[in-house]
Amino acid sequence: MKNEPAYYNEKVKRAAHMLFFKRGRIPGARSWELKTGLGKGYTKVLEHLDEGLKDLDLEVKKVEPQTLSDYKQRPEDGEEESRYFVRLKGTLAPKEARLCGWRIDNLAALAAALAIVVSKQGKSERKELETVIGNKAGRWRALTLMDTFLRSGYLEEDEEGLVKLGWRTRAELDLPSLMMLLAESKAPFAESSEPLDEDQASMEG
Amino acid sequence: MMEKVRRFSGRRELEELIQTCISIENRRFNPFLLDISDALSIIRRHSNQLRTLEDHLLDMRAITSVARVVGLQSANLRFQSSALYVDPSMVKQKLDSLSREQLAEFLLLSWHPIVELEQLTLASTKEAKEFWEKMLSFFERRKRLRLGPFVGPGSADLGELARMRVVEEKAYTRKMQDLWKELTNSAEKDDEVDYWDFIRGSDFAHTIARAQLVSFLVSYGYANLLRKGNSIFLVPKAKPDPHPEGSPLSFPIPITKEALVRAK
Repeated sequence: MKNEPAYYNEKVKRAAHMLFFKRGRIPGARSWELKTGLGKGYTKVLEHLDEGLKDLDLEVKKVEPQTLSDYKQRPEDGEEESRYFVRLKGTLAPKEARLCGWRIDNLAALAAALAIVVSKQGKSERKELETVIGNKAGRWRALTLMDTFLRSGYLEEDEEGLVKLGWRTRAELDLPSLMMLLAESKAPFAESSEPLDEDQASMEG
Repeated sequence: MMEKVRRFSGRRELEELIQTCISIENRRFNPFLLDISDALSIIRRHSNQLRTLEDHLLDMRAITSVARVVGLQSANLRFQSSALYVDPSMVKQKLDSLSREQLAEFLLLSWHPIVELEQLTLASTKEAKEFWEKMLSFFERRKRLRLGPFVGPGSADLGELARMRVVEEKAYTRKMQDLWKELTNSAEKDDEVDYWDFIRGSDFAHTIARAQLVSFLVSYGYANLLRKGNSIFLVPKAKPDPHPEGSPLSFPIPITKEALVRAK
């Protein structure tokens, strides 16, 4: 008889290696890779890993393949293409985000860009996004930030030049929560929401 | 003649319809701005004037464009009924009125970053190689900065670099040991030296530099500091007792030009 805890321990370790270590351009692992590496019962192994990661405020996140188009529903056989990631279960404090290299300007610009794309049903013109980001982070910075968001996978540009949500947004962002917070928000009383001047916007923090 | 005119206007109407559909697909207009029954009646009205292959292709393009807009309308309705629906104009208003801090906070509250360990992979190596190969030469990149004519590199010896304060003539530890020897020699007679007499240099900057070195001598066990009334004395140790964690006590000595004059 197979010693079940030891068997799972080994598999869980292997699953952790597959999910933590980046092997390609995109982190995490695809379902078929996990199936090959861990066997048919890989979902059970991932459940064990998820349980083990709870204490570290981490979780295993499954991201479904992207919907093929605006009109068609996702095909049922998408399981083979799902991707699994390890991500933070809770959220980061502003101070922690700064320590990870994220400036307040960049976070605000990403929030604005995602909100616009979501409100436009997942696709928006690049120019429109640059204008909105420019209002928050400065005109020149908007151009570089758009490139950064596209490069890091938060946004993707399709062949028609329209910008849509990228794989990283689908993996990391709780969009309903973001849109809810935005819809419920109230502007502060004495708030300076005017655009930054270029000098201030180009400062690295 | 009449039929030719009718065919021409029909073609134009279909082309306009296709153009409107493309604009809707590119998110310039709301999909519900197009009345599908009107669009279909335009297509139907011109269906009996289709003569050439181009006419038929145009008709087909118009039908598929309208079908795409119907798809977008359906997607729009599905989206409006989902939790993600917020009116785009309302979103823009909110974004304009909210501060950067508030927006950043909203993102942070909805953000669960992926944990990933970066390492060298075949893909990243290929990417780096491509970047290196596509990168413009140093001179091309320099041109963009408009720095003027290029001055070639020259040479400078250590003395010159020391005068420019790019490098120190002596390593710090060596300086400390030299000063400790100087202190030991000065204190040969009385076993102690007046602090202010010892740190005084040729100018104020030199004095500060000596005072800093002395503070390290005391901290690292090369000398002791004694207070006698208003005077401070330095007592060199015959055998240094360096302890890397430094002295457990802190004794700040303010050095001003007035203090130096007073000590004279």
